[in-house]
Amino acid sequence: MSRGVAALTVASVLLAVCLALGAGEVWINPLHPLSDMERTILWELRLPRLLIAFAVGGLLAMAGSWFQVLLGNPLAEPYVLGVAGSSAVGAILTLMLISTSIVLMSAGAFAGAVAGIALMMAFVHLGSGRLLLAGVVLAAFWSALITLLLALMPNRDIGLAFAWMMGDLSTSAIPIPLLLLFWFAALIAGLVLSPKLDALLLGEKHAMLLGVNVSALRGTILLLASLVTAVAVTAAGTIGFVGLVIPHLMRLVFGSLHRYVLPASAVGGGLLLMLADSAARTVIAPAELPVGVLTAMIGVPLFLWLLLRRN
Amino acid sequence: MSALLLQTKGFGVERGGRVLFHELALDVVRGSITVVIGPNGAGKSSLLLALAGVIAHSGDCLLQGRNHRAVDRNEMSRQIAWQGELPPTEFGLTVAERLDLAAGAFGASNRAHAVEAMELEALLHRTLGELSSGERQRVEIAAVMVRDCPLWFFDEPTAHLDLKHQQRVLKLLRDAAAEGRTIVTVLHDLQQASAVADQVVLLDGHGGAEAGEAAGLLTSERLSNLFQVKLQSIHNDGHSLLLPDYRS
Repeated sequence: MSRGVAALTVASVLLAVCLALGAGEVWINPLHPLSDMERTILWELRLPRLLIAFAVGGLLAMAGSWFQVLLGNPLAEPYVLGVAGSSAVGAILTLMLISTSIVLMSAGAFAGAVAGIALMMAFVHLGSGRLLLAGVVLAAFWSALITLLLALMPNRDIGLAFAWMMGDLSTSAIPIPLLLLFWFAALIAGLVLSPKLDALLLGEKHAMLLGVNVSALRGTILLLASLVTAVAVTAAGTIGFVGLVIPHLMRLVFGSLHRYVLPASAVGGGLLLMLADSAARTVIAPAELPVGVLTAMIGVPLFLWLLLRRN
Repeated sequence: MSALLLQTKGFGVERGGRVLFHELALDVVRGSITVVIGPNGAGKSSLLLALAGVIAHSGDCLLQGRNHRAVDRNEMSRQIAWQGELPPTEFGLTVAERLDLAAGAFGASNRAHAVEAMELEALLHRTLGELSSGERQRVEIAAVMVRDCPLWFFDEPTAHLDLKHQQRVLKLLRDAAAEGRTIVTVLHDLQQASAVADQVVLLDGHGGAEAGEAAGLLTSERLSNLFQVKLQSIHNDGHSLLLPDYRS
């Protein structure tokens, strides 16, 4: 890694952490002595939120990088095979039939995600192109089902359903230590698979001739990436764009090999979501913008700038 | 150590319900060059992939005396290096990364030689997507060279290359075989085939397959029948050239 890239990485981490802790309806200067209220805001609201954003952003970015390699398509992202749709159906069905509790909705979301993954695994033996096609068709099915459920839903619950689907980092149905453990476990699993994922960058035949059992690898990646997406969606709803843009951004900076791309995505996705959440809480405070809007507004110009610079 | 490195018996490949070829009996000895020739769609690339255990086949293939169905993928990858389709460019791999991936866990003792032989020094930090087809082909040849495998498979190694690099690749095949490397390669150009082949496999495109000494199979009569074109045999400087008449 060049000194410039290392300095940029450290500066980005510091900036994202300072903004995530300091920015909001009440601005807090972490370098000054804190009042009791500021201490409470910092430790009980912003730090947990920072950790949720970091873990969820990292999980989505890792899942995105895996889906892109699995499908051989740089436009793939964590929701491309319909995991977000099936988890939203699970959450909405829970809301309609069982409870308005966020914890139970998240449990329903996870169950929906698992059902979606199980359905998707039936198509893993197809080639990348057909698997992608099956995923897109399934995603369209889940989307239609969501629309149907929303149309049948009592008006009082629609706001809650939309709020869940837009993504919310203020609380997580999955305890934060467990979420961070998932982040770490996904990173380790991904690093273990890195050499095989790298071989898959050359195409399936080259990968087989480099000793990779491609069908087993494809099944493993699909399962891992879908589970990681399911955990992220269960924790914070569906937050778009991070899983698409961060792996590309990291490839532009660190090259294509997964031993660099994966840890960089795990951290970079977390930082982007932390920054986006800080902005979402601050721009029209005391109200909040949907964080997914901000991920796109920060990520798109950054990505385009890097593309032009690389060119 | 047996001189016979690769052997097939009753070997055949079927794709999409069509028999590409069947009953191929092939003996490949160490340090030899076997050239696969045949019309489009006859199964030349499929033959290489089937020999490498990537696609299904009928009959038996023995790799160093062992049925290659009993050889696992990892062991197979230590035995065979393959140049085939150009890898995708979407993920921004650089030439250096491509060669690193080829070397993988097998070590890259030949990397410097491969880079020099294929003149890649100036291209190492460029992405595959930035290269011409010919430059990408040179990278793929180098990606085989960095692997210290006893068997090298090439699928049209001179495609996309200019004359200088075509000549260089053919010399590289001859030199590698002289050093004991065993090579199986698909070639379309009959002059190139006759310049390097010790043995030839003819696939006729109708399911037939025949292997034999190059001198016996690379004749104007056999090849005219195979490709359904008239070939002239011209003798020049002790060599025989097989030339199609492109104006007829």
